[in-house]
Amino acid sequence: MKGIRLAFKIINTLTKDSFHYPNRLYANMLILVSRLGVLLALYWYVFKLNGGIINGVTFIVVAWSMFFYFSFSNFNLRRISRLIMEDVQSGNVEVFLCKPISYLSYKIWWTFGLGFYNFIFIGFLGFIILALVISVPASMTIGLFIPTLILELILATILTFIIYSIVGLLAFWIEDVNPVFWINDKFVMILGGSYLPVALFPDYLYKIAIYSPFGASMFVSHIVYDSWKVDWLKLMGIQIFWIITLGIFLIWLFKKARGKVSVNGG
Amino acid sequence: MNIISVKNLSKEFTFPVKNTKYSWLKNLFYPEIRKVVAVSGISFDVKRGERIAFIGPNGAGKSTTIKMLSGILFPSGGDVDILGLNPSKDRKKLAYRIGTVFGQRSQLLPNLPLTDSLEFYGVMYDMTNEQIKIRIKELVEIFGLESFMDQPVRKLSLGQRMRAEVAVSLIHKPEIIFLDEPTIGLDVVAKKSLRDLLLKINKEENTTIFLTSHDVGDIESLCDRTIIINHGTLIKDLPTEDLTKTFFSEKYIDIIPIHKFKDFPVLTHGIEYLTKEPNKITIRVDINKISVKDSLKELLDIFDIEDIDVYYSDLETVIRNIYERDSTSI
Repeated sequence: MKGIRLAFKIINTLTKDSFHYPNRLYANMLILVSRLGVLLALYWYVFKLNGGIINGVTFIVVAWSMFFYFSFSNFNLRRISRLIMEDVQSGNVEVFLCKPISYLSYKIWWTFGLGFYNFIFIGFLGFIILALVISVPASMTIGLFIPTLILELILATILTFIIYSIVGLLAFWIEDVNPVFWINDKFVMILGGSYLPVALFPDYLYKIAIYSPFGASMFVSHIVYDSWKVDWLKLMGIQIFWIITLGIFLIWLFKKARGKVSVNGG
Repeated sequence: MNIISVKNLSKEFTFPVKNTKYSWLKNLFYPEIRKVVAVSGISFDVKRGERIAFIGPNGAGKSTTIKMLSGILFPSGGDVDILGLNPSKDRKKLAYRIGTVFGQRSQLLPNLPLTDSLEFYGVMYDMTNEQIKIRIKELVEIFGLESFMDQPVRKLSLGQRMRAEVAVSLIHKPEIIFLDEPTIGLDVVAKKSLRDLLLKINKEENTTIFLTSHDVGDIESLCDRTIIINHGTLIKDLPTEDLTKTFFSEKYIDIIPIHKFKDFPVLTHGIEYLTKEPNKITIRVDINKISVKDSLKELLDIFDIEDIDVYYSDLETVIRNIYERDSTSI
């Protein structure tokens, strides 16, 4: 109960903080629109050249798949790696370790709170605009869509936090996790469908995207595919497997990291 | 009744170092490990309501000790008992009963008004909304926070920020407050104000104060007992009054002239020149023989003074004096 109250307090406080800086929101919106806009314009042209369908998928489906990828990416949950690294490098980690909280849970909720406002506001606005401009595919109108979307967002959030927290905790050993973060992030982007939608992947790459934790953390980009109504249970099963496996590893790693805390000053 | 009990507490840090004689592969997988002993077998007890100064030069092990007492670091050896709890095992339980202030770090929310930080930490300490409201009112009154309660924290002066930091760390009415260099970087007025507030909290709420500082003034005006450590070892544990009489009996005065000093007249008994330069002289005053006030009167009569600075000897000098005194008494 206390944890939930604190989580709500963090989200409230950080949302309030975001209101003080509306320019950040506009900048993020601009980044999203330009990245997604350029990609969608290119894909629209490629699909047009191919008669409107590639690999059995229409442009509308690809556009929505990319929209869900970029909206989730805009949540910026991956920044937890850098927040942990900064705490370790600056020694600020000690401020949190003498509070009646779990450092890791606190950082997770803090990162969640930092991106929540962006995610909701830009995601909602983007949804409306895209729906008006290109309409929605049939796969988004079935009854299963909304409940599995919510469930998928929860699982993707948990798995993303676990993967990027592991990267962040490595700072206790190597201090600068930027190279690891970069490699990890590129795997997530490629296998999640940032550059090329997963539906257009060759078979071997599609399998890697599905069975690796990097691709699994971005299954939100799969929910508009027609195959979703058949595959959703299997895909969520894969996500749950990675959540349990990497979650156990994360707890073990955090316990080891606690013993590695050093201190600035005499 | 002891609320802090420390027995043979030790902390060693190990870290890999690059050995130029090793190959890069050996350096990567089997690096040379260097061990640093930060704290070595210190023992002491603290009673409820005491005001402890825990002092020592840079690298003495002060911060390491305070961080082991607050559960941030795990000791390499020895036993710690704080309010009947083991900080390493009961970190979260202990956190509800202690407060911490690290002078070089901030726990405040920089972009929001101070009220938000106080409410935020109130929730973190599992206080009800009503309890938070009452406590904020009390802290605003005690710490005089009203004038800047609604300003974003990043716009506060350093002195205001430190008052706010201490107030936030007291939101849950801790029984002990650990302060690590709380007055670092503050001007004289802000330092005095913070010391007065800590004394007030100690008197009104019987909060035990455990403070590390480099500032002799903090120790003298705030603490009733002083523990001195150096190279991780406890070298003295004595009432601050005794320490002041024995080791803080000298004050120093720097004088800057309006025009260059030409003559250096003989001074009264208890005052002597340490350095004589045309642009600055430094004078040592033995306060057991003459008061600072009388010394200043005499100096103002003798010299045309542009600027003047009165200060204690630094901690390093005090600790050197302790060593010298102890070695001559053996």
